[in-house]
Amino acid sequence: MAQALISIEHVSKAYQRDSMSIPVLEDIDLKIDTGEFVALMGPSGSGKTTLLNLIAGIDTPTQGRISIEGRAVSSMRETELARWRADHIGFIFQLYNLIPVLTAFENVELPLLLTRLSKKERQSHVKMALEIVGLADRADHYPRQLSGGQEQRVAIARAIVADPVILVADEPTGDLDAKSAGEILDLLNRLNTEHHKTIVMVTHDPRAAARAHRMLHLDKGVLSSQEPAAVDRSRDGRA
Amino acid sequence: MKYFRFIWKNVFRKKSRAFLTMASIVLVLVLIVVLSSLLEALDYDTGRTKGAANIVVQHATGLGNFMPLAYRQKIEQIPGVVAVAPQIWFGGIYIDEKPQNFFGQLSTDPEVWATVHDDYTIPPDQLKTWQSERDSFVAGKQLVDRFHWTMGQRIQVRGTYIPGTLDLALRGVYTGPDESNIFFHNKYLENSFLGRLEQTGIFYLRTEAPEKVPVVCDAINKMFENSDAPVKAMPEKQFMLQFTEMMGDVKLLFRSIALIVLFTVVLIVANTMAMSARERVTQIAVIRALGFRRSQVLMLVLSEAVLLALLGGVAGVLGSVPFMWGLIGIIKHTPVAMFAYNLKISWATLLTAFTAAVGIGVLAGFVPAIRSSRISIVDGLRRVA
Repeated sequence: MAQALISIEHVSKAYQRDSMSIPVLEDIDLKIDTGEFVALMGPSGSGKTTLLNLIAGIDTPTQGRISIEGRAVSSMRETELARWRADHIGFIFQLYNLIPVLTAFENVELPLLLTRLSKKERQSHVKMALEIVGLADRADHYPRQLSGGQEQRVAIARAIVADPVILVADEPTGDLDAKSAGEILDLLNRLNTEHHKTIVMVTHDPRAAARAHRMLHLDKGVLSSQEPAAVDRSRDGRA
Repeated sequence: MKYFRFIWKNVFRKKSRAFLTMASIVLVLVLIVVLSSLLEALDYDTGRTKGAANIVVQHATGLGNFMPLAYRQKIEQIPGVVAVAPQIWFGGIYIDEKPQNFFGQLSTDPEVWATVHDDYTIPPDQLKTWQSERDSFVAGKQLVDRFHWTMGQRIQVRGTYIPGTLDLALRGVYTGPDESNIFFHNKYLENSFLGRLEQTGIFYLRTEAPEKVPVVCDAINKMFENSDAPVKAMPEKQFMLQFTEMMGDVKLLFRSIALIVLFTVVLIVANTMAMSARERVTQIAVIRALGFRRSQVLMLVLSEAVLLALLGGVAGVLGSVPFMWGLIGIIKHTPVAMFAYNLKISWATLLTAFTAAVGIGVLAGFVPAIRSSRISIVDGLRRVA
């Protein structure tokens, strides 16, 4: 049996507030294969973002083990983890989180500054990423000069520019109108099908979740159900 | 270098705040350059070589007491002494008591004046004319320019602690390290109103070589130690330092002001950097999520502070040059004009100012940089940008 790309075993997470321990995730077991598009759903406070953060390596579990590509991410030291994130994870945030003083091009280039690529190579990678998201003509624009949908596409270009294996998206359409949200979901589908990115997406929106291969429901920190998405797959070219 | 654009853009994220902070650094550095240059100018004569063979002899109890003029012949007999000039500080008033009309008036022996003041230059014919006319004087070029005196012009200087008024004709203009004095004949004082001169304020003498100075000083001090008027002989440099030592408190004040101002600007820049870092908690969390290490975040924020301080430093150092020119121009017309000749911006001062700028950046940026590097990614991302 092939090894899962993301393997989560008996993971629990609790936050410490003064002397109180607040459990957020309890005994999560989950496997995500390469090329999967998984939607994490659940009410507010159910632990979706916490689980996403654990997968992305920006938080560490209180108990249990998280392995990605067979490597135990949960036991990596901070410096090692930072390097690992730069190589393996692309982040897409609800509020885009672009750096306002940088142009679209410079924002997308940011993760490449951590690599040994030459300036020319960086330029070529950035250009390609912006072309994939359809914003090659907006490279010199600052975030304030872009619409919400365009900002999110720049953020997606930033997420894919270093060619990571996994994209983690936290409510990527949560701040967008329906039309822009649809475009972003189309783009995510394309990245999944054409560029073979494994995507883990947190969402409240059932229509967004319907684009995924699999929907996971979290409730009070417990993974309550895992079900294949059954609706609205017509636009991802897999129907 | 690949991070430079990122650092540069973050420095000017809030342009008016960055420029105001830089302006405060510029002002402080101009102040530091001016104060350092003033302190260097107060340490008079440090760079002179010709004056190194000169000695000043004064009454052991201080300049307020005179010494017998008869000491001159005895001092002249000491091996190594080339020439001895008795000098009296006249301390009179020219035109009025306004500071801009103040200058030094010293009576001397014109026959040995050029020998003892070997670092002054005067045309030989002018020296000869002055030596031959008792009611004449020579003046430093700066002084002549300041008062627009012409050759042969007569000036009147009213005495204060020495009674009488000098009425002298300009016969020579000298150039040298201190052009803020006039020199006239001892004989003029004697003939005009002091009667026969039996005493003098100081003996200004030249030795054969700088190496002779300590031996000659010892010999002079020993020669008169048991007399009614014991003396204190010292190298010229030490004599001049007496005056600056009187200004010891002023130096301390200058240094204190510089330190306080420096500390204040560190707080201002630190506050700017702290505000800037606080406003960017989410941004810092994002770049950390993208893979930037804590040490990289620390260096980025610290570099912003250093860059800001360096830009202010460059502007401050460049701005201090014309400022000093203006200041020198003003000082040349004041009673402390002699300092104007020593007042210049040295490379050491510029280097000090530049180092101070880097220091401001590092000190001010260190705490915000440490704090930024310790931001939790999860907490930072939770904040609404």
